[in-house]
Amino acid sequence: YRAAIETEKRICGLVATDSCTRWLDAHYDPVANLYTFSSCIGNGDSLVVGDLGTGACNIKLKVYKGTSLVSENTLLDLPTGLVSFHMDQHEPRTPAIAVASGPFIYVYKNLRPYFKFTLPPLEVNPLEQEVWTQAKEVRRERYGPHLHTSCSRRFSFPLGRFLMLDPQEMETYVNLHKQQPLRRQTVITCISTLKKNMAEEDAVSCLVIGAESKDIYVLDPEAFTVLSKMSLPSVPTLIDVTGQFDVEFRITVACRNGNIYILRRDSPKPKYCIELTSHPVGLVRIGKNVVVGCAQETLLSYTQKGKKLWTVYLPAPVMTMGLMDHHTRGFQAVLVGLSNCQVQLYRDKNLLNIVKTPDVVTSICFGRFGREDGSLIMTTKGGGLIVKILKRTAVFDDRDTAPGPPLAQSIRLNVPKKTKLYVDQTMRERENAVAMHRAFQMDLSRLRLASARAYVKALESSLTPMSASLSEPLKMNAVVQGLGPSFKLTLNVQNTAACRPVMNLAVSFLYDEALYSMRPSFFKIPLLVPGLNYPIDAFVECLVDKGISDIIKVFVLQQGKSAPLLTAHINMPVSEGLPLN
Amino acid sequence: MGLFDKLAGWLGLKKKEVNVLCLGLDNSGKTTIINQLKPSNAQTQDIVPTIGFSIEKFKTSSLSFTVFDMSGQGRYRNLWEHYYKEGQAIIFVIDSGDKLRMVVAKEELDTLLNHPDIKHRRIPILFFANKMDLRDALSSVKVSQLLCLENIKDKPWHICASDALKGEGLQEGNKFSSCLALFHIEMHLGIIGRIIVVKLALVVK
Repeated sequence: YRAAIETEKRICGLVATDSCTRWLDAHYDPVANLYTFSSCIGNGDSLVVGDLGTGACNIKLKVYKGTSLVSENTLLDLPTGLVSFHMDQHEPRTPAIAVASGPFIYVYKNLRPYFKFTLPPLEVNPLEQEVWTQAKEVRRERYGPHLHTSCSRRFSFPLGRFLMLDPQEMETYVNLHKQQPLRRQTVITCISTLKKNMAEEDAVSCLVIGAESKDIYVLDPEAFTVLSKMSLPSVPTLIDVTGQFDVEFRITVACRNGNIYILRRDSPKPKYCIELTSHPVGLVRIGKNVVVGCAQETLLSYTQKGKKLWTVYLPAPVMTMGLMDHHTRGFQAVLVGLSNCQVQLYRDKNLLNIVKTPDVVTSICFGRFGREDGSLIMTTKGGGLIVKILKRTAVFDDRDTAPGPPLAQSIRLNVPKKTKLYVDQTMRERENAVAMHRAFQMDLSRLRLASARAYVKALESSLTPMSASLSEPLKMNAVVQGLGPSFKLTLNVQNTAACRPVMNLAVSFLYDEALYSMRPSFFKIPLLVPGLNYPIDAFVECLVDKGISDIIKVFVLQQGKSAPLLTAHINMPVSEGLPLN
Repeated sequence: MGLFDKLAGWLGLKKKEVNVLCLGLDNSGKTTIINQLKPSNAQTQDIVPTIGFSIEKFKTSSLSFTVFDMSGQGRYRNLWEHYYKEGQAIIFVIDSGDKLRMVVAKEELDTLLNHPDIKHRRIPILFFANKMDLRDALSSVKVSQLLCLENIKDKPWHICASDALKGEGLQEGNKFSSCLALFHIEMHLGIIGRIIVVKLALVVK
């Protein structure tokens, strides 16, 4: 429970510190009318957004420079991905923008439409072909069910719609589309870029496309021909590419079946497979590791070979993810947009920072925006646009804020090696455990008996400065003052009874008469009122100057009793002075 | 500065030397402004982003300026504070067209004003709301609002709109001369202080 509070405190601290010290609120437009996802947003000199609009209208490619919208291009269909890439070696090096939409890729240069690429059509099932040629004369009833059972895949256009029609409409439909050959077209689900043969920031890049047909295509940047085609067991939804096409590359694809596949150069099939327990929502690669946000409110990290590194449990479902890569500071972390209006920043499994947003964030993009390197651009569910700028002085300290055992627990202690003696002793203890235990218990009992006897004896003979009798509860302590040869002995006698006074007491001293002389060696003490402290002075003279000392015994006696009530032994100090003649 | 120099300065025989720091974000126009303040024969045509900093010297009727033209790029901004001690006046240039980075300019200004070398000095600050030629440029009033300049109570400051490319609002125009007047006032205050110091020195002798 305390750990939970600690974690909560630290998280509160994170929120408090980040909101006032790490990010500058550069821009917030709650009515920017931007409805998009992280895959359809790109930054650089300007911000390019593939706006999904509202339903079927307002699908646009929007370009922001600073805080203002500078250009809008209408798109025909919903965009599924947007990337900026260098398609040629021409100077000046201005990147082109590729927008994937339906089966097409629209390439824009200098914000003007430049080229449209269509994915190659898939081969048509021969059975479908046969049906279509016959459908021109024959009724659907004869072929439709037969086709349904034998062909599980999607139907090609225009056969698919034909099979859904009512018999009376078929005639007109067939007449309308009689001339068209059957074709089967897939659509693009995700898009990314892959450097061709150089690693520079502005090197020429190939487009990597994931399609509904469970294929991955790599396109040549200049000729727009398919350089490579790889197939997957499922439909790709999220894609991440690293490396160079001509050298070596890795394509990490999260698929609709909840698996992540890792493809490599020269292998048309996936090399590694990561089976997730829930569907992936976001995919970010940091260095060589992949961080996946899952639908089960978890953040998982895997190596390039599919080995799981860690899991973080998130407070809310993941909406989107982005990479925070600050080149100039060499800082890399994962930004996770959550449905509780927070954007959390993770480096490895450590939560570094929480950015609170006024609305749920649906797309995140970190990087250069205009002249500012550390810009965090976010769009919200309600169509808002948020731009935050990382402060120049901001630092993220790597505190372990994840709940659970503290970091110190996993540090190995430097335990010294076991010595032979230790081992022998342990062996002996193990063999003779019962005997050793018995011997110890015996000794312990004896010790207890001995101490109890001594205590009883002390009580019986009133050797203690505390009185044991209930009728005369007394307490006494003694103080010796002086350097010698004359000493002053002060006895503090106290009656510890609640209300009964004690009478008829006397004090007697027992000492070596060759060493000491005491002027009154026996005297009566007055009535002792309960609770009060009675100091009684006695003077001791040391008779020898040989530097020896002895014990003086003090007895408190009661009239009519031979045994003393109390006994005190006073260790006399050595006399440091000389006796006066 | 020697005693003779002080006396010469007091008598007006020698021009007062002023160290001016020119600060502001990258691409705000610091170097262009400094370039415009130089005599026309010494001006350069092409302005490139400053690396680190550069030192420019020029003279007006009564003052001799040494301007530290600091680079505004993020990675060089941590150099600024090393020159705060020497600076006797600050020129802070703002790109009025860059609304997005106004917060960054404000942040840098706040850091500057809270620096121990600046905080307790009555150092005059001249703000240039530059790039007024841009269509969507903010007015100097708006800029001063965004930078919360009204909160600067203990330092003389002035903001003027400028277009450094054309040189408007820099040398000509009464605004800049009023800015210069600030420097003058500051200098006079400094001189009075120095006279007292000189007198004390004589008394001691």
